Amino acid sequence: MAQLLDIVTTAAILYAVAAGLLIVFGVMKIINFAHGGFLTIGGYSALIVTWLGWNPWWSLPFALAIGMVCGAIVERLVMRPLYARPLDAILATWGLGIVVGQLITLEFGREVQFVRSPISGAMSILGESYSQYRLMLVMLAVALALGMGLVLNGTALGLRTRAVIMNENLARGLGINSGLVRFATFSIGSGLAALAGALITPLSSVDPNMGVPWLVNAFMLVLVSGMSLVSLAASCLVLGGAQVLVSTYGNPVAGGLTIVVLSALLLRFRPQGFARE
Amino acid sequence: MASRLERVRCGILTATTVLALASGAWAQDIKIGIPVGLSGANSVVAPSVVQSAELAAEEINAKGGIMGKKVSLEVADDGSGAAGAQKAFDSLIFQKKVNVLISMETSAARNAGLPIVTRGKTPFIYTSFYEGRSCNRYLYVNAWVPDQQVAPIVDYFAKNNKAKTFFLIGSDYAFGRGMLQFTRGYIEKKGGKVLGEEYLPMDGSDWTAIIGKLKAAKPDALITSTAGGAPNVTLTKQLRAAGINIPYGNLAVDEGTAKSMGPDAEGIFISGSYFTNIDSPKNKEFLAAMQKKFGADLKTPNDLSVPQYEGVYLYKAAVEKAGSTDADKVITALSTVSFEGPRGNIQMNKQRHAPLTMYLGQVQKDGSIKILESFKNVDPGAQCPKIK
Repeated sequence: MAQLLDIVTTAAILYAVAAGLLIVFGVMKIINFAHGGFLTIGGYSALIVTWLGWNPWWSLPFALAIGMVCGAIVERLVMRPLYARPLDAILATWGLGIVVGQLITLEFGREVQFVRSPISGAMSILGESYSQYRLMLVMLAVALALGMGLVLNGTALGLRTRAVIMNENLARGLGINSGLVRFATFSIGSGLAALAGALITPLSSVDPNMGVPWLVNAFMLVLVSGMSLVSLAASCLVLGGAQVLVSTYGNPVAGGLTIVVLSALLLRFRPQGFARE
Repeated sequence: MASRLERVRCGILTATTVLALASGAWAQDIKIGIPVGLSGANSVVAPSVVQSAELAAEEINAKGGIMGKKVSLEVADDGSGAAGAQKAFDSLIFQKKVNVLISMETSAARNAGLPIVTRGKTPFIYTSFYEGRSCNRYLYVNAWVPDQQVAPIVDYFAKNNKAKTFFLIGSDYAFGRGMLQFTRGYIEKKGGKVLGEEYLPMDGSDWTAIIGKLKAAKPDALITSTAGGAPNVTLTKQLRAAGINIPYGNLAVDEGTAKSMGPDAEGIFISGSYFTNIDSPKNKEFLAAMQKKFGADLKTPNDLSVPQYEGVYLYKAAVEKAGSTDADKVITALSTVSFEGPRGNIQMNKQRHAPLTMYLGQVQKDGSIKILESFKNVDPGAQCPKIK
């Protein structure tokens, strides 16, 4: 039973971390290697909330806002001039991730920081005593998924975004301002990354490299899920679950490799991954 | 035009003379090389190590130096790893021509530096606690090894908490595995039982599955040995979030980290040779001198920085006894000299290692450490039986 909870909560964390990366990948067709940097920005946003003495719940909207502002600036200054050169853009995001880490080191120092957690302790569920925060993460991840689904399927911006994802040239021909869609997507994606960074602070340490361990797994999950939120959820459950099972019955060192290895194998035999087509 | 050229020439001449004089003065100094992890994993603790060495050098120089010679420090960043250490040792020994290396480093950095130390025939006092059994003709160690650190925690749990079964969690690297292997051996020797021994890679941050196994095993006590910094923090947070409240001994947490972890660290047992509230005149004197020298910039002295301070004094004593900075004479003298420092009387006379007074402490609600018990002159055991 405890394992079922471990699997569901692990999948929820992975989903929260990978969601921002997925929408940027969907619209821009580039993997944003600065995603780890934005996670870190979110962690430090939560730290600022702790320093200000605000209620720890404020760290979530605060991190989202800071991430969106940073994302908007980066899109305007770094990404936009490179849209015609996707390979350079990927390299630029990688460099950007390093720059973010160094700027944070300069401002906050290298040491591990501590952020207050909104809820702590364990509660009893299904006959197990289990971490309350992890259970709450599941609810937040579901809310996040529903929210993103609503925006994509229920708003004008979502409609345009889906049009750009499917065929950018055609969408532009129809009068959709794809530059604006890219701008909005990158800002929101960065905001979601920062939100995820704030969400993982109660489980993770806050240091200038906190985003790095998450980046590779998020990257693989996005590659196997294509561009759909549903398939991202499926791949988080399946691959995250595999990670928990390998760690529990095998070896946690091998468990750390599970997502990467399985994704690579999956892409070899089923190039579309978890996506339907 | 001519006069301008003249002036430039004159300036160059003066500059070279000054340089020559200055370097002449430096050549008289006794140079202490400090390869230390200013960047990378050790970057949190390295500044406190450098501060300790600075205080020791200042105090020694104020009292006339070592045999009338001024002590100067050469600090080099080893990047906390093997590649950086090779560069740092190489430049300190062969370019800066230091007389001795005194430093706290990662095990990877130390192992990479040792062949260079052998080649350069330079005494090396290692001031970091480590997994033990590193032996070299030029190496001395004045910090603890597992034989000294593990026993207090295991014995305390067995006696006060009636613990019979233990669970071990660590980071997958030399220190983590070395410590836990020793711990397992010690527990089994004392008649206890190890229910599980689990590792996560050094950069791993998701302890979910290991905590699941820990809960299923239901041990009486938990002992962890992760890498310092992030892994220690993530493990402790996730253990607390999962509601684990069995006695928890942490072999790798230092006083500063424990303090900044806040409520999550409360109740953790730690064992070491130095805590700031050791009640001795020497320690109080040391802390006051550090406070006076560094003021607001002071990095809290700790179990890695205090041996550095004592290491400089031990070298001073050895040079004075040998009557020279000659490497072989100093190496012979080092095991025979002692120094009364903040941790007590230190002499590296047990196969290049030092018997130490060890303390068992528990982290309190306010982050301070309460010393529960002390163990006088714990022997480091057979670390280097073959060393001459």
